[in-house]
Amino acid sequence: MLKALAYIFGFLLLGELITYFFEIPIAGNILGMFLIFLALRLKLIKLQDVKPASDKLIKYLVLFFIPYGVGLMVYFEIIAAYWMPISVAVIASTVITLYISAIIIEKLEK
Amino acid sequence: MQEFFQLPVFGVFISIIAFAGGRELRKKFNYVLLNPVLLAILFIISFLLIFNIDFEDYNRGGKFISFFLGPSVVALGVFFYEKYEEVKQNLKVFLLSVAVGGISGILTVIIFLLLLKVPDFIIESLASKSVTTPIAIEITKLTGGIPEITAGIVIAVGIFGNAFGPFILKKLGIKSKIAIGTALGTAAHGIGTARAFEESKLAGVYSGLAMCVNGIITALLTPYLLQLFLGSFT
Repeated sequence: MLKALAYIFGFLLLGELITYFFEIPIAGNILGMFLIFLALRLKLIKLQDVKPASDKLIKYLVLFFIPYGVGLMVYFEIIAAYWMPISVAVIASTVITLYISAIIIEKLEK
Repeated sequence: MQEFFQLPVFGVFISIIAFAGGRELRKKFNYVLLNPVLLAILFIISFLLIFNIDFEDYNRGGKFISFFLGPSVVALGVFFYEKYEEVKQNLKVFLLSVAVGGISGILTVIIFLLLLKVPDFIIESLASKSVTTPIAIEITKLTGGIPEITAGIVIAVGIFGNAFGPFILKKLGIKSKIAIGTALGTAAHGIGTARAFEESKLAGVYSGLAMCVNGIITALLTPYLLQLFLGSFT
């Protein structure tokens, strides 16, 4: 578990380090996600060395964004003022996204 | 008493307890709107309002919880590697579906919000609404929106996809489980993926992968698409 955590935080740090020095417009953790995938594919690290920590983190992923959800209370007035256009745009866009990705697979799948 | 609530342990404790309570309720009454995260958030907001506690005080502890979003995104890379093998035979069609669906998701929400004359900072906060919360939050931080608004809407989108996604798709004539899974992961991230697993294991795997792929696509493209439509960032 300790080794797995070291790998996860190591790749997070690596991602942060690269975005820090090269000022690319992508978050360090997203870069870390990409790099750890690459390292696993190129067999630089073993799945069983990282899996204990990654499984636990994914299991509790939803818990970790609760504070951001609570933070919405600070912006309650903004949401209240624009709830109608926001709802319309977000629901319409979500239905379109669902349909477009589904229809491509439905038509082209072998 | 206010000083007591400023102790970080308060924010940590109430977050864990609210989430555990939300999960228990969901287990007892299997009803989609009883989403554990939604319940936890509503409970904590109510508690803070009743006892007149500032969000900043709660977040002294809350930020220890949200800190783990960073390593969790890295963990998604491991998850992606594990599931990657299972979609190999349909890989090209799958990637096309997620890419076209994902980009449509960003473009349509930006265009609709522009047409409805919503202020720019809200558009910046909602452009990444389809992807998993930790990635969406990072995108919003880069583009100048408000991460808390992003988190709230992203969770709402997930619940919408979870509750109505399969129903809407079946009404529109979609039959393939793989298509339904991929669409749920692309449009409604992890909360949609939970529903895809209820459709079938295969749908769930495709959904989880679609969530990761769309996370990357949206992270790479959103800053540029926003720049294109809104001009420079505020």
